[in-house]
Amino acid sequence: MQAKKPLKILYPAFILSFILLLTLSAHALDVPKLQGYVNDYAGMISPSVKTKLEAELKTFEQTDSTQIVILTIPSLEGDVIDSFSIKVADKWKIGQKGKDNGVIIIAAKNNRKMRIEVGRGLESTLTDLATGRIIDRVIGPSFKKGDFDGGFTAGVAALIAAAKGEFKSEKKFSPKKQENLSRFLTFLIFSGIFMLIMGSISRILGSAAGAISLPLLAKLTIAGSSGVFTLIILGLAGVVIGGLLPILFSNSSRHYGSRGPWSSGGFGGVDIGGGGGFDGGGGDFGGGGASGDW
Amino acid sequence: MKKIIYLFVLLLSIFSISGCGYNKMQANEEAVKAAWGDVEASYQRRNDLIPNLVEVVKGYAKHEKDTLIAVTEARAKVGNIQISKEMVNDPKAFAQFQEAQSAMSSALSRLMVVVEKYPDLKANQNFKDLQHQLEGTENRINVARSRYNKAVEIFNTSIRIFPNNITNSVLLQLKLKEPFKAETGSEKAPQVKF
Repeated sequence: MQAKKPLKILYPAFILSFILLLTLSAHALDVPKLQGYVNDYAGMISPSVKTKLEAELKTFEQTDSTQIVILTIPSLEGDVIDSFSIKVADKWKIGQKGKDNGVIIIAAKNNRKMRIEVGRGLESTLTDLATGRIIDRVIGPSFKKGDFDGGFTAGVAALIAAAKGEFKSEKKFSPKKQENLSRFLTFLIFSGIFMLIMGSISRILGSAAGAISLPLLAKLTIAGSSGVFTLIILGLAGVVIGGLLPILFSNSSRHYGSRGPWSSGGFGGVDIGGGGGFDGGGGDFGGGGASGDW
Repeated sequence: MKKIIYLFVLLLSIFSISGCGYNKMQANEEAVKAAWGDVEASYQRRNDLIPNLVEVVKGYAKHEKDTLIAVTEARAKVGNIQISKEMVNDPKAFAQFQEAQSAMSSALSRLMVVVEKYPDLKANQNFKDLQHQLEGTENRINVARSRYNKAVEIFNTSIRIFPNNITNSVLLQLKLKEPFKAETGSEKAPQVKF
Protein backbone atom coordinates (compact mmCIF):
# COMPACT_ATOMS: atom_id res chain seq x y z
CA MET A 1 0.00 0.00 0.00
CA GLN A 2 2.70 2.40 1.02
CA ALA A 3 4.74 1.63 -2.02
CA LYS A 4 1.85 2.54 -4.28
CA LYS A 5 1.54 6.07 -3.02
CA PRO A 6 4.46 7.60 -4.91
CA LEU A 7 3.23 5.82 -8.00
CA LYS A 8 -0.11 7.53 -7.69
CA ILE A 9 1.63 10.85 -7.84
CA LEU A 10 3.90 9.71 -10.60
CA TYR A 11 1.11 8.73 -12.97
CA PRO A 12 -0.41 12.16 -13.47
CA ALA A 13 3.04 13.64 -13.73
CA PHE A 14 3.92 11.10 -16.35
CA ILE A 15 0.76 11.75 -18.33
CA LEU A 16 1.22 15.47 -17.99
CA SER A 17 4.74 15.37 -19.33
CA PHE A 18 3.57 13.12 -22.12
CA ILE A 19 0.88 15.62 -23.12
CA LEU A 20 3.44 18.38 -22.88
CA LEU A 21 5.75 16.48 -25.19
CA LEU A 22 2.92 15.87 -27.62
CA THR A 23 1.89 19.50 -27.78
CA LEU A 24 5.51 20.47 -28.16
CA SER A 25 6.03 18.11 -31.06
CA ALA A 26 2.85 19.37 -32.70
CA HIS A 27 4.50 22.77 -33.09
CA ALA A 28 7.95 21.42 -33.75
CA LEU A 29 7.99 22.02 -37.52
CA ASP A 30 10.81 24.50 -37.77
CA VAL A 31 11.65 26.61 -40.74
CA PRO A 32 14.61 24.94 -42.47
CA LYS A 33 17.73 26.81 -43.40
CA LEU A 34 17.81 28.88 -46.57
CA GLN A 35 20.48 27.31 -48.77
CA GLY A 36 19.91 28.76 -52.19
CA TYR A 37 17.22 29.24 -54.81
CA VAL A 38 16.22 25.59 -54.61
CA ASN A 39 15.89 24.11 -51.13
CA ASP A 40 14.91 20.54 -51.83
CA TYR A 41 14.50 19.02 -48.36
CA ALA A 42 12.05 16.38 -49.58
CA GLY A 43 14.21 15.19 -52.47
CA MET A 44 11.61 15.90 -55.12
CA ILE A 45 13.84 17.47 -57.75
CA SER A 46 16.48 15.66 -59.74
CA PRO A 47 20.05 17.07 -59.61
CA SER A 48 20.16 18.15 -63.25
CA VAL A 49 16.86 20.04 -63.01
CA LYS A 50 17.97 21.57 -59.74
CA THR A 51 21.09 23.06 -61.34
CA LYS A 52 19.01 24.31 -64.22
CA LEU A 53 16.45 25.97 -61.95
CA GLU A 54 19.17 27.50 -59.78
CA ALA A 55 20.76 29.06 -62.86
CA GLU A 56 17.44 30.24 -64.22
CA LEU A 57 16.35 31.87 -60.97
CA LYS A 58 19.73 33.48 -60.49
CA THR A 59 19.59 35.08 -63.92
CA PHE A 60 16.08 36.26 -63.24
CA GLU A 61 17.13 37.94 -60.02
CA GLN A 62 20.02 39.63 -61.78
CA THR A 63 17.86 41.01 -64.58
CA ASP A 64 14.61 41.74 -62.80
CA SER A 65 15.68 41.80 -59.14
CA THR A 66 12.73 39.58 -58.25
CA GLN A 67 13.78 36.70 -56.05
CA ILE A 68 12.00 33.37 -56.47
CA VAL A 69 12.85 30.55 -54.09
CA ILE A 70 11.69 26.92 -53.97
CA LEU A 71 11.27 24.89 -50.80
CA THR A 72 10.19 21.28 -50.55
CA ILE A 73 9.59 19.55 -47.24
CA PRO A 74 8.75 15.90 -46.60
CA SER A 75 5.78 16.60 -44.33
CA LEU A 76 3.90 19.46 -42.68
CA GLU A 77 3.74 17.48 -39.41
CA GLY A 78 0.28 18.71 -38.58
CA ASP A 79 0.90 22.32 -39.48
CA VAL A 80 -1.26 24.10 -42.07
CA ILE A 81 0.56 25.06 -45.25
CA ASP A 82 -0.73 28.64 -45.16
CA SER A 83 0.65 29.35 -41.72
CA PHE A 84 3.84 27.41 -42.33
CA SER A 85 4.60 29.33 -45.51
CA ILE A 86 4.14 32.73 -43.85
CA LYS A 87 6.52 31.53 -41.13
CA VAL A 88 9.06 30.67 -43.82
CA ALA A 89 8.50 34.03 -45.50
CA ASP A 90 8.99 35.94 -42.26
CA LYS A 91 12.19 34.09 -41.48
CA TRP A 92 13.82 34.03 -44.90
CA LYS A 93 12.73 37.50 -45.97
CA ILE A 94 12.98 36.72 -49.67
CA GLY A 95 13.01 39.74 -51.97
CA GLN A 96 14.54 43.14 -51.53
CA LYS A 97 13.73 45.49 -48.71
CA GLY A 98 11.38 48.23 -49.87
CA LYS A 99 10.50 46.39 -53.08
CA ASP A 100 9.17 43.30 -51.28
CA ASN A 101 9.54 41.36 -54.49
CA GLY A 102 9.99 37.82 -53.26
CA VAL A 103 8.15 34.63 -54.16
CA ILE A 104 8.35 31.33 -52.34
CA ILE A 105 7.10 28.09 -53.85
CA ILE A 106 6.47 25.51 -51.13
CA ALA A 107 5.55 21.87 -51.60
CA ALA A 108 4.90 19.35 -48.82
CA LYS A 109 5.47 15.98 -50.42
CA ASN A 110 3.55 13.60 -48.17
CA ASN A 111 0.63 15.96 -47.60
CA ARG A 112 0.38 16.66 -51.33
CA LYS A 113 -0.05 20.34 -50.60
CA MET A 114 1.62 23.32 -52.17
CA ARG A 115 1.56 27.07 -51.92
CA ILE A 116 2.94 30.04 -53.76
CA GLU A 117 3.63 32.81 -51.28
CA VAL A 118 3.87 36.25 -52.88
CA GLY A 119 5.63 39.30 -51.44
CA ARG A 120 3.67 42.51 -51.00
CA GLY A 121 5.39 44.25 -53.90
CA LEU A 122 4.31 41.60 -56.38
CA GLU A 123 0.71 41.23 -55.24
CA SER A 124 -0.58 43.38 -58.07
CA THR A 125 0.92 41.21 -60.82
CA LEU A 126 1.05 37.84 -59.13
CA THR A 127 -2.46 38.07 -57.76
CA ASP A 128 -4.09 35.31 -55.77
CA LEU A 129 -5.97 34.48 -58.93
CA ALA A 130 -2.87 34.31 -61.13
CA THR A 131 -0.95 32.15 -58.68
CA GLY A 132 -4.02 30.00 -58.12
CA ARG A 133 -4.27 29.38 -61.84
CA ILE A 134 -0.58 28.49 -62.02
CA ILE A 135 -1.15 25.94 -59.28
CA ASP A 136 -4.35 24.57 -60.84
CA ARG A 137 -3.30 24.44 -64.45
CA VAL A 138 0.49 24.36 -64.61
CA ILE A 139 2.00 22.76 -61.54
CA GLY A 140 -0.90 20.62 -60.30
CA PRO A 141 -1.40 18.42 -63.38
CA SER A 142 2.32 17.58 -63.59
CA PHE A 143 2.51 16.82 -59.88
CA LYS A 144 -0.54 14.55 -60.19
CA LYS A 145 1.36 12.47 -62.72
CA GLY A 146 4.32 12.32 -60.37
CA ASP A 147 6.37 14.58 -62.62
CA PHE A 148 7.82 16.95 -60.02
CA ASP A 149 10.68 18.11 -62.24
CA GLY A 150 8.29 19.10 -64.99
CA GLY A 151 5.92 20.78 -62.54
CA PHE A 152 8.58 22.95 -60.95
CA THR A 153 10.15 23.86 -64.29
CA ALA A 154 6.82 24.85 -65.84
CA GLY A 155 5.71 26.62 -62.65
CA VAL A 156 8.87 28.69 -62.42
CA ALA A 157 8.59 29.57 -66.11
CA ALA A 158 4.98 30.71 -65.61
CA LEU A 159 5.87 32.76 -62.53
CA ILE A 160 8.77 34.41 -64.31
CA ALA A 161 6.58 35.22 -67.30
CA ALA A 162 3.94 36.75 -65.04
CA ALA A 163 6.33 38.70 -62.83
CA LYS A 164 8.58 39.94 -65.61
CA GLY A 165 8.88 43.67 -65.95
CA GLU A 166 7.39 44.45 -62.56
CA PHE A 167 10.74 45.48 -61.15
CA LYS A 168 13.97 46.43 -62.83
CA SER A 169 17.32 45.54 -61.42
CA GLU A 170 19.41 48.52 -60.51
CA LYS A 171 22.86 49.12 -59.18
CA LYS A 172 22.08 48.57 -55.60
CA PHE A 173 23.55 50.32 -52.64
CA SER A 174 22.85 48.94 -49.23
CA PRO A 175 20.20 51.12 -47.57
CA LYS A 176 21.34 49.86 -44.18
CA LYS A 177 24.75 51.41 -44.61
CA GLN A 178 23.19 54.73 -45.50
CA GLU A 179 20.98 54.60 -42.43
CA ASN A 180 23.90 53.73 -40.21
CA LEU A 181 25.95 56.57 -41.61
CA SER A 182 23.31 59.23 -41.02
CA ARG A 183 22.68 57.92 -37.52
CA PHE A 184 26.39 57.97 -36.89
CA LEU A 185 26.68 61.59 -38.02
CA THR A 186 23.76 62.68 -35.85
CA PHE A 187 25.27 61.09 -32.80
CA LEU A 188 28.69 62.47 -33.67
CA ILE A 189 27.35 66.03 -33.79
CA PHE A 190 25.44 65.52 -30.56
CA SER A 191 28.39 64.13 -28.70
CA GLY A 192 30.60 66.87 -30.11
CA ILE A 193 28.29 69.54 -28.70
CA PHE A 194 28.04 67.61 -25.46
CA MET A 195 31.81 67.47 -25.07
CA LEU A 196 32.15 71.15 -25.96
CA ILE A 197 29.65 72.25 -23.35
CA MET A 198 31.08 70.05 -20.65
CA GLY A 199 34.60 71.04 -21.57
CA SER A 200 33.79 74.72 -21.44
CA ILE A 201 32.64 74.24 -17.86
CA SER A 202 35.78 72.41 -16.88
CA ARG A 203 38.55 70.44 -18.50
CA ILE A 204 37.90 67.35 -16.37
CA LEU A 205 34.20 67.32 -17.15
CA GLY A 206 35.01 67.57 -20.84
CA SER A 207 37.36 64.62 -20.65
CA ALA A 208 34.80 62.59 -18.77
CA ALA A 209 32.16 63.45 -21.36
CA GLY A 210 34.51 62.33 -24.09
CA ALA A 211 35.33 59.11 -22.29
CA ILE A 212 31.64 58.30 -22.02
CA SER A 213 30.27 59.53 -25.30
CA LEU A 214 32.84 58.19 -27.72
CA PRO A 215 32.50 54.50 -26.81
CA LEU A 216 28.74 55.02 -26.47
CA LEU A 217 28.69 56.48 -29.93
CA ALA A 218 30.47 53.47 -31.32
CA LYS A 219 28.25 51.05 -29.44
CA LEU A 220 25.00 52.72 -30.50
CA THR A 221 25.70 53.19 -34.16
CA ILE A 222 27.83 50.21 -35.06
CA ALA A 223 26.71 47.77 -32.41
CA GLY A 224 28.29 44.37 -32.44
CA SER A 225 31.35 45.12 -34.49
CA SER A 226 33.20 46.83 -31.67
CA GLY A 227 34.98 44.71 -29.09
CA VAL A 228 35.80 45.64 -25.49
CA PHE A 229 39.34 46.56 -26.44
CA THR A 230 38.19 49.01 -29.10
CA LEU A 231 35.77 50.53 -26.62
CA ILE A 232 38.56 51.12 -24.09
CA ILE A 233 40.74 52.72 -26.75
CA LEU A 234 37.83 54.86 -27.86
CA GLY A 235 37.26 55.85 -24.22
CA LEU A 236 40.88 56.94 -23.87
CA ALA A 237 40.67 58.85 -27.14
CA GLY A 238 37.49 60.43 -25.80
CA VAL A 239 39.32 61.66 -22.71
CA VAL A 240 41.87 63.42 -24.82
CA ILE A 241 39.40 64.77 -27.39
CA GLY A 242 36.97 65.91 -24.70
CA GLY A 243 39.78 67.72 -22.93
CA LEU A 244 41.16 69.38 -26.07
CA LEU A 245 38.03 70.11 -28.09
CA PRO A 246 36.99 73.21 -26.13
CA ILE A 247 40.51 74.58 -26.42
CA LEU A 248 40.45 73.96 -30.15
CA PHE A 249 37.27 75.91 -30.47
CA SER A 250 38.50 78.73 -28.33
CA ASN A 251 40.82 81.27 -29.95
CA SER A 252 44.18 79.81 -29.01
CA SER A 253 45.52 78.91 -32.42
CA ARG A 254 48.61 77.07 -31.23
CA HIS A 255 46.56 73.92 -30.62
CA TYR A 256 45.35 73.53 -34.16
CA GLY A 257 48.45 71.68 -35.06
CA SER A 258 47.61 68.82 -32.75
CA ARG A 259 44.24 68.20 -34.31
CA GLY A 260 45.35 65.71 -36.92
CA PRO A 261 46.19 62.64 -34.88
CA TRP A 262 42.96 62.71 -32.87
CA SER A 263 40.34 63.29 -35.51
CA SER A 264 41.40 60.36 -37.65
CA GLY A 265 41.58 58.09 -34.62
CA GLY A 266 39.54 55.01 -33.88
CA PHE A 267 37.02 55.13 -36.69
CA GLY A 268 39.08 53.94 -39.63
CA GLY A 269 38.63 50.22 -39.20
CA VAL A 270 34.88 50.13 -38.82
CA ASP A 271 33.29 47.42 -40.95
CA ILE A 272 29.52 47.35 -41.39
CA GLY A 273 29.22 44.78 -44.19
CA GLY A 274 27.40 41.46 -43.78
CA GLY A 275 28.63 37.92 -44.39
CA GLY A 276 28.61 35.99 -47.63
CA GLY A 277 26.33 33.21 -48.79
CA PHE A 278 22.78 33.17 -50.10
CA ASP A 279 20.44 35.54 -48.35
CA GLY A 280 16.95 36.99 -48.51
CA GLY A 281 17.10 40.75 -48.87
CA GLY A 282 14.52 41.76 -46.25
CA GLY A 283 11.36 41.54 -48.35
CA ASP A 284 7.99 41.71 -46.62
CA PHE A 285 5.08 39.32 -47.10
CA GLY A 286 1.42 39.98 -46.31
CA GLY A 287 -0.16 36.59 -46.96
CA GLY A 288 -0.70 36.98 -50.69
CA GLY A 289 -0.58 34.01 -53.05
CA ALA A 290 -2.52 30.81 -53.33
CA SER A 291 -2.57 27.27 -52.01
CA GLY A 292 -3.54 24.04 -53.66
CA ASP A 293 -3.07 20.30 -53.63
CA TRP A 294 -2.37 17.55 -56.08
CA MET B 1 28.27 80.74 -18.36
CA LYS B 2 24.61 80.72 -17.40
CA LYS B 3 23.62 80.21 -21.01
CA ILE B 4 25.82 77.19 -21.23
CA ILE B 5 24.27 75.63 -18.15
CA TYR B 6 20.80 76.17 -19.60
CA LEU B 7 21.87 74.54 -22.80
CA PHE B 8 23.33 71.68 -20.86
CA VAL B 9 20.12 71.15 -18.92
CA LEU B 10 18.13 71.21 -22.15
CA LEU B 11 20.42 68.66 -23.73
CA LEU B 12 20.29 66.43 -20.69
CA SER B 13 16.51 66.49 -20.65
CA ILE B 14 16.40 65.53 -24.34
CA PHE B 15 18.68 62.61 -23.61
CA SER B 16 16.71 61.52 -20.59
CA ILE B 17 13.39 61.69 -22.46
CA SER B 18 14.60 59.31 -25.10
CA GLY B 19 16.02 57.17 -22.29
CA CYS B 20 12.56 56.94 -20.73
CA GLY B 21 11.15 55.33 -23.84
CA TYR B 22 9.28 58.42 -25.00
CA ASN B 23 10.26 57.91 -28.62
CA LYS B 24 9.99 54.15 -28.45
CA MET B 25 6.42 54.23 -27.23
CA GLN B 26 5.40 56.64 -29.96
CA ALA B 27 7.04 54.41 -32.54
CA ASN B 28 5.27 51.35 -31.14
CA GLU B 29 1.93 53.11 -31.27
CA GLU B 30 2.48 54.00 -34.90
CA ALA B 31 3.31 50.35 -35.56
CA VAL B 32 0.00 49.31 -34.03
CA LYS B 33 -1.85 51.81 -36.20
CA ALA B 34 -0.10 50.59 -39.32
CA ALA B 35 -0.89 46.98 -38.47
CA TRP B 36 -4.50 47.93 -37.89
CA GLY B 37 -4.60 49.48 -41.35
CA ASP B 38 -3.67 46.11 -42.78
CA VAL B 39 -6.41 44.38 -40.85
CA GLU B 40 -8.93 46.90 -42.10
CA ALA B 41 -7.76 46.53 -45.68
CA SER B 42 -8.05 42.77 -45.68
CA TYR B 43 -11.53 42.84 -44.17
CA GLN B 44 -12.53 45.45 -46.72
CA ARG B 45 -11.25 43.22 -49.46
CA ARG B 46 -13.41 40.38 -48.24
CA ASN B 47 -16.41 42.66 -48.15
CA ASP B 48 -15.82 43.72 -51.73
CA LEU B 49 -15.64 40.14 -52.92
CA ILE B 50 -18.79 38.91 -51.27
CA PRO B 51 -21.37 40.41 -53.68
CA ASN B 52 -19.60 38.60 -56.55
CA LEU B 53 -19.65 35.39 -54.64
CA VAL B 54 -23.33 35.72 -53.89
CA GLU B 55 -24.08 36.46 -57.56
CA VAL B 56 -22.21 33.41 -58.78
CA VAL B 57 -23.84 31.12 -56.26
CA LYS B 58 -27.26 32.57 -56.95
CA GLY B 59 -27.20 31.41 -60.53
CA TYR B 60 -26.68 27.83 -59.48
CA ALA B 61 -28.36 27.48 -56.15
CA LYS B 62 -31.91 28.53 -56.79
CA HIS B 63 -33.41 27.02 -53.66
CA GLU B 64 -31.02 28.40 -51.07
CA LYS B 65 -32.46 31.85 -50.72
CA ASP B 66 -32.23 31.95 -46.93
CA THR B 67 -28.50 31.42 -46.86
CA LEU B 68 -27.85 33.96 -49.57
CA ILE B 69 -29.98 36.51 -47.78
CA ALA B 70 -28.14 35.79 -44.53
CA VAL B 71 -24.80 36.44 -46.20
CA THR B 72 -26.01 39.66 -47.75
CA GLU B 73 -27.42 40.85 -44.46
CA ALA B 74 -24.25 40.04 -42.58
CA ARG B 75 -22.29 42.03 -45.11
CA ALA B 76 -24.64 44.98 -44.76
CA LYS B 77 -24.18 44.88 -40.99
CA VAL B 78 -20.41 44.94 -41.36
CA GLY B 79 -20.74 47.90 -43.70
CA ASN B 80 -22.67 49.83 -41.09
CA ILE B 81 -19.83 49.92 -38.62
CA GLN B 82 -17.68 53.00 -38.82
CA ILE B 83 -14.10 51.84 -38.72
CA SER B 84 -11.32 54.14 -37.72
CA LYS B 85 -7.86 54.02 -36.25
CA GLU B 86 -9.18 55.24 -32.91
CA MET B 87 -11.09 52.00 -32.63
CA VAL B 88 -8.03 50.17 -31.34
CA ASN B 89 -8.30 52.33 -28.21
CA ASP B 90 -11.97 51.62 -27.63
CA PRO B 91 -12.78 48.14 -26.31
CA LYS B 92 -16.50 48.49 -26.97
CA ALA B 93 -16.26 49.53 -30.60
CA PHE B 94 -13.61 46.93 -31.10
CA ALA B 95 -15.80 44.15 -29.74
CA GLN B 96 -18.62 45.33 -31.99
CA PHE B 97 -16.37 45.21 -35.02
CA GLN B 98 -15.14 41.75 -34.17
CA GLU B 99 -18.65 40.48 -33.59
CA ALA B 100 -19.87 41.72 -36.98
CA GLN B 101 -16.90 40.19 -38.72
CA SER B 102 -17.34 36.84 -37.06
CA ALA B 103 -21.05 36.85 -37.98
CA MET B 104 -19.85 37.42 -41.53
CA SER B 105 -17.45 34.50 -41.24
CA SER B 106 -20.11 32.12 -40.02
CA ALA B 107 -22.57 33.21 -42.73
CA LEU B 108 -19.83 32.54 -45.25
CA SER B 109 -19.13 29.09 -43.92
CA ARG B 110 -22.82 28.27 -44.18
CA LEU B 111 -22.68 29.38 -47.79
CA MET B 112 -19.82 26.98 -48.36
CA VAL B 113 -21.99 24.12 -47.18
CA VAL B 114 -24.54 25.14 -49.80
CA VAL B 115 -21.84 25.17 -52.42
CA GLU B 116 -20.93 21.60 -51.54
CA LYS B 117 -24.35 20.52 -52.78
CA TYR B 118 -23.86 21.88 -56.28
CA PRO B 119 -21.16 19.98 -58.20
CA ASP B 120 -21.67 22.09 -61.31
CA LEU B 121 -20.95 25.23 -59.37
CA LYS B 122 -17.70 23.86 -58.01
CA ALA B 123 -16.49 23.08 -61.51
CA ASN B 124 -17.43 26.51 -62.82
CA GLN B 125 -14.41 28.59 -63.78
CA ASN B 126 -15.82 31.82 -62.40
CA PHE B 127 -16.36 30.14 -59.12
CA LYS B 128 -12.91 28.59 -59.07
CA ASP B 129 -11.35 31.98 -59.62
CA LEU B 130 -13.46 33.51 -56.90
CA GLN B 131 -12.44 30.70 -54.60
CA HIS B 132 -8.77 31.60 -54.99
CA GLN B 133 -9.46 35.23 -54.27
CA LEU B 134 -11.56 34.52 -51.24
CA GLU B 135 -9.10 31.98 -49.92
CA GLY B 136 -6.29 34.48 -50.32
CA THR B 137 -8.34 37.09 -48.54
CA GLU B 138 -9.07 34.87 -45.58
CA ASN B 139 -5.37 34.10 -45.39
CA ARG B 140 -4.51 37.78 -45.49
CA ILE B 141 -6.98 38.47 -42.71
CA ASN B 142 -5.29 35.80 -40.62
CA VAL B 143 -1.84 37.19 -41.28
CA ALA B 144 -2.91 40.78 -40.69
CA ARG B 145 -4.66 39.88 -37.44
CA SER B 146 -1.74 37.97 -36.02
CA ARG B 147 0.64 40.78 -36.96
CA TYR B 148 -1.67 43.33 -35.40
CA ASN B 149 -1.77 41.29 -32.22
CA LYS B 150 2.00 41.13 -32.17
CA ALA B 151 2.24 44.90 -32.60
CA VAL B 152 -0.30 45.41 -29.81
CA GLU B 153 1.65 43.10 -27.55
CA ILE B 154 4.84 45.06 -28.13
CA PHE B 155 3.07 48.37 -27.59
CA ASN B 156 1.19 47.29 -24.47
CA THR B 157 4.37 45.90 -22.97
CA SER B 158 6.27 49.05 -23.79
CA ILE B 159 3.84 51.33 -21.98
CA ARG B 160 3.73 49.10 -18.91
CA ILE B 161 7.40 48.39 -18.22
CA PHE B 162 9.17 50.47 -15.63
CA PRO B 163 10.62 53.76 -16.73
CA ASN B 164 8.14 53.94 -19.61
CA ASN B 165 5.02 53.74 -17.45
CA ILE B 166 6.07 56.90 -15.63
CA THR B 167 6.78 58.75 -18.86
CA ASN B 168 3.44 57.57 -20.18
CA SER B 169 1.40 58.62 -17.18
CA VAL B 170 3.09 62.03 -17.03
CA LEU B 171 3.58 62.95 -20.66
CA LEU B 172 1.89 60.72 -23.21
CA GLN B 173 -1.13 59.11 -21.57
CA LEU B 174 -1.44 56.43 -24.21
CA LYS B 175 -4.07 53.78 -23.64
CA LEU B 176 -3.66 50.03 -23.81
CA LYS B 177 -4.65 48.71 -27.21
CA GLU B 178 -7.16 45.96 -27.83
CA PRO B 179 -5.89 42.68 -29.29
CA PHE B 180 -8.06 40.26 -31.25
CA LYS B 181 -9.38 37.47 -29.10
CA ALA B 182 -10.31 34.03 -30.33
CA GLU B 183 -13.81 34.05 -31.71
CA THR B 184 -16.43 32.37 -29.60
CA GLY B 185 -16.81 28.74 -30.49
CA SER B 186 -13.76 28.61 -32.71
CA GLU B 187 -10.10 29.23 -32.29
CA LYS B 188 -9.56 30.11 -35.91
CA ALA B 189 -11.48 31.89 -38.59
CA PRO B 190 -13.43 29.25 -40.53
CA GLN B 191 -11.38 27.67 -43.26
CA VAL B 192 -12.96 28.52 -46.55
CA LYS B 193 -12.41 25.34 -48.52
CA PHE B 194 -14.41 24.23 -51.50
